[in-house]
Amino acid sequence: MLERVKELLGSGEIAGFIGLKLEYGHPEPYLFTKDHPEDLESLLVGDVRYPLNKVLLKVANQYPELTFGVMVRGCDERGLTELFKWNQLRQDRVVPIGVACPRELAEACECYKPYPSQWLVGEKTEGISKSKRLQKIEGMKQDERLSYWQNQFNKCIKCYGCRDVCPMCFCEVCSLEDRNFILTGKIPPENPTFHLSRAVHMVGRCIDCGLCEEACPSNIPVRTLYKKVGEIVMDVFGYRTGESAEGKSPLNILGEVTLELSDVNK
Amino acid sequence: MEYKTVLTTCGYCGCGCGLYLEVLDGELVGTMPCKTDPVSQGGLCIKGWNLHEFVNNSDRLTQPLMKKEGQFREATWDEALDHVASRLKEIKEKNGPNSIAFLASAKCTNEENYLLQKLARAVVGTNNIDHCARL
Amino acid sequence: MAKEVQSAAGFEPKIIAFLCNWCSYGGADLAGVSRLQYPSNTRTVRVMCTATISPHHILKAFQKGADGVLVAGCHIGDCHYMKGNYMTIKRVAVLKELLRFTGFQEERLYLDWISSAEGVRFAEVIRSFTQKIRELGPSQLKTSYA
Repeated sequence: MLERVKELLGSGEIAGFIGLKLEYGHPEPYLFTKDHPEDLESLLVGDVRYPLNKVLLKVANQYPELTFGVMVRGCDERGLTELFKWNQLRQDRVVPIGVACPRELAEACECYKPYPSQWLVGEKTEGISKSKRLQKIEGMKQDERLSYWQNQFNKCIKCYGCRDVCPMCFCEVCSLEDRNFILTGKIPPENPTFHLSRAVHMVGRCIDCGLCEEACPSNIPVRTLYKKVGEIVMDVFGYRTGESAEGKSPLNILGEVTLELSDVNK
Repeated sequence: MEYKTVLTTCGYCGCGCGLYLEVLDGELVGTMPCKTDPVSQGGLCIKGWNLHEFVNNSDRLTQPLMKKEGQFREATWDEALDHVASRLKEIKEKNGPNSIAFLASAKCTNEENYLLQKLARAVVGTNNIDHCARL
Repeated sequence: MAKEVQSAAGFEPKIIAFLCNWCSYGGADLAGVSRLQYPSNTRTVRVMCTATISPHHILKAFQKGADGVLVAGCHIGDCHYMKGNYMTIKRVAVLKELLRFTGFQEERLYLDWISSAEGVRFAEVIRSFTQKIRELGPSQLKTSYA
């Protein structure tokens, strides 16, 4: 990967590369530029994942006419595909450099496609098609499911970490901060409105990167909830988030109606 | 054009979660948790997530302010400290040392909090020392 | 089980109905003018189009203790704003599945298309929905661990 980054920076194809730099023993997000070639010695892929797409959004908004490279895993590439469709980034101004995830990570994430379309580092592993996390919840009876989720949502300390770390959350004004909707000064926040409304916002947006669950200080299984959202979108609209470069996300467009009332009111 | 992240410790409470402050062209723009930190392991509370906001906030005090004629006016450090010291002495003489209370802060270092309680106990002679985390 | 705490007798459900100005509210008006009798458990909220109903509104209604939520709009193809009800059916479909997954009885959210000429049908929908909610019992948020 180092060679490719040096090549891209040297030729001027990219003004900077967003990746991870090893500093004081910790990998941290960093923008590598041509001005500091010595930094490239500390470039690493690592096992720790950070929302590099979010960094790209910040940097690209500051320098909209420049092109940037970014390190992407399977999920990041899905994120980029969606961000292009949601008009947050321009495809001709982003050069992704792919990394394929190792087997252990793919299994921990239960990722259906743990590799981008092209990659320079890593080996392809098979994706996981059926998530055990979801099977466990689906296997519970309704009362069990209700008390499970109520208990989980009661742990929430309203840190907004899930939203702040999400690479697909780019809204300037967040509904979860609307004082008429989510009351201030109350912990846990409205159970289940807070989490269900975030889940609805994740329709056609969530790329299943899992950063939300990793950022949650209360260990709420939010990723399971959003994985279910992805499954619902697949079942109801036949749309897989981040898969295709064409066709907008189902709730982002009026489109045509393919549902009947009988499908909805089961 | 420069974007970097600086590893630091959150200053809000005694937990000491590790986090990265995002700096874009010399300006603080955001915060990200440090996932390799043994204490916080990638989690942050809402105060930690917004650590970048207070640093360059326009509401921050830059000069000591003293109330003169009912309005806050800028003063020098010497003026302010002399005033505080003389008034505290007066109050201690008139009402006794226990009429004064001290409030420490989680934003201060342990060493600064130690100095404050030494001031309270040894200099003023009162046990009325508490900490904002107890509020 | 917490659910059996509240007995069926004496429970009157609170139902919030979001009705679109052009079709379903007109249908409700017609039912009223025709002196049709139907249970009075429903509180109606008139909106210009069901597309203005966000999942936020529905979730807030449930959070505040509504036992049931009814969303009624124009028939597909008859929306006053052409395609508003396309969004509605998509949103409600997703929200219902999500509610089911988190353990809620998704039958408490009901979507129907009622035109302004269907006064009799409006009364019938209210009657049957109120009965269904009466059978389901009070909102799960009131009786479950929360």
